[in-house]
Amino acid sequence: MDWTALTLSLKLAGATVLLLLPLGLWLGRWVARTPSRWKIWVEAAMLLPLVLPPTVLGYYLLVGLGNSSPLGQWAQQLFGVQLTFSFTGLLIASLVFNIPFALQPLQRAYENVPRSLHEAALVCGLSAWERFTKVDLPLVWPGIMSAAVMTFAHTLGEFGVVLMVGGSIPGETQTIAIAIYDRVQAFDTRSAHLMSLTLLLISLLAIGASLLASRRLGRSRPEVTP
Amino acid sequence: MSLQVSIDQTLPMRLTGAFHCAPGQLVALVGPSGAGKTSLLRGIAGLMKPQHARISVGSACWCDTAQGLFVPPQLRNVGLVFQDYALMPHMNALDNVALPLRGPERLIRARDMLRRVGLAPEHMQRRPAQLSGGQQQRVAVARALVREPAVLLLDEPFSAVDQMNRQTLYALLAELREDIAVPMVLVTHDLNEARLLADELVVMAEGVVLQQGRADAIHRAPRNARVADIVGIANRFDGVWLGADANSPAGTGWLRWGSTDAALHLPVRDKGRIEPGQSVAWVVPGEGLRLCEEPAAASAAPVNGLGLTVRVVTLRHLGDVWLLRLQCLDGPQASFQIMLTGPQVRPLVPGQVLQMCMDLAMLHIMPIKTGAGALVSAG
Repeated sequence: MDWTALTLSLKLAGATVLLLLPLGLWLGRWVARTPSRWKIWVEAAMLLPLVLPPTVLGYYLLVGLGNSSPLGQWAQQLFGVQLTFSFTGLLIASLVFNIPFALQPLQRAYENVPRSLHEAALVCGLSAWERFTKVDLPLVWPGIMSAAVMTFAHTLGEFGVVLMVGGSIPGETQTIAIAIYDRVQAFDTRSAHLMSLTLLLISLLAIGASLLASRRLGRSRPEVTP
Repeated sequence: MSLQVSIDQTLPMRLTGAFHCAPGQLVALVGPSGAGKTSLLRGIAGLMKPQHARISVGSACWCDTAQGLFVPPQLRNVGLVFQDYALMPHMNALDNVALPLRGPERLIRARDMLRRVGLAPEHMQRRPAQLSGGQQQRVAVARALVREPAVLLLDEPFSAVDQMNRQTLYALLAELREDIAVPMVLVTHDLNEARLLADELVVMAEGVVLQQGRADAIHRAPRNARVADIVGIANRFDGVWLGADANSPAGTGWLRWGSTDAALHLPVRDKGRIEPGQSVAWVVPGEGLRLCEEPAAASAAPVNGLGLTVRVVTLRHLGDVWLLRLQCLDGPQASFQIMLTGPQVRPLVPGQVLQMCMDLAMLHIMPIKTGAGALVSAG
């Protein structure tokens, strides 16, 4: 059992969830409420990671974050950080390929909040922050839970993009999914089996807990009636 | 702190017109679906930004597109009762009402307000889904009033409650009105509701404000044929305005009623606003029509009265009221509708021939053309 890889995966998944949720909330609300005609294209772009092969996404991330790219050079000069084959690069890649997993549940959650509730909050004189904390947050809470769990589980399981952008540097970019692949290549089936089972159980627990929480929330909170 | 509204926009939908509402006055926006009533209300609340508008309450200006001024809804201090109530489903009744309030006293004030609208204390901790439609409506009214708004707006608030609850809520609104000294605007498609609750009506159609006035005044003198249709004036007829000539009595002109040989020329007050030869619609209110048993009685009518022979076509009994449809026998093909109440009620049977006197002083003539360009009337 490669504990370093497991810890790295959990760290990556946790950081992705923490950074992606605020962005997902903002973007989900925008897509759900905007009358803009660009909405459909923004939505399409955000869903791209779902349909693109991980190698395509990984390749573009590698090119976009590499040392010869403007972003890579900028990060190198300003922070002395290399974006490819590093945890930072892995995190950026993780944020990108998880966008649809965070956005979709949050967008649906915002779409389920009747527009009149948002307008009632405006007419009641609530500030933007009060509208978010007192109205939006409690009503889209199931969406937040769902987005967090989907993002977390998907980060743990991602293989192709991680390998392309991060390679397989133990302690730096070797996640548990890649460690399993390495163990199989080395015919260490016992370790591969143990790590696969661990990943399976963590994912099952996360999704199960999310479903359970959603159902409890659904029971304790009456439906949003339009 | 009178509310003054003037809006003019063509996109995304046409919305044109002006109206005003004095403090303590309740104005009802009436008209068919799609008339723009709710849009106008949303414009006042700031939930819609009109192309061109000026909206002010007393000295405070909320919107003046000419000056580039638009106060967002959260800064307008408007009390709005939504059609679907828009109560927060995750909050109980008390928290919903306290939502617009700040400070340590907020729950006390919210509780007082809920008590005023008649919500029982045991219901205050319940969430909207655990309350009946009528109770939710009370909570919505309490939330709109608790902040002591500068204007109270009600968007078809009674449409989702049953008839029994509606009557109770009418009574509640009437009771609350005694203490509310701010302009109140009610959107409704129910004319009876508007007449019952409002001091004045604002009649709208196709996004245009057609007329503002007291319900009885609009019934007596609708500004145009469209207004007459919307407020449901039964006795509306077509004719041609001929204007004054040497034979017409002073201050009157001739209205030709009917186009066949049976056409009648009626002397009607002339305000000089309609060109001779123009097609017009004319109306006569119920109080301008009187039934008489004998022809002699009809001829004894006022000098400017017109005696007509009519036959009872249908006779409907609605509680203390008799509703009659009468066919005109000696004039143009037309039928009148009149209502008999109290001492006017008499034994009548369908087919019976009677004399009816029409008071020509109560005739009101208006152009048939509809829309904003037809806001003139003659009679």
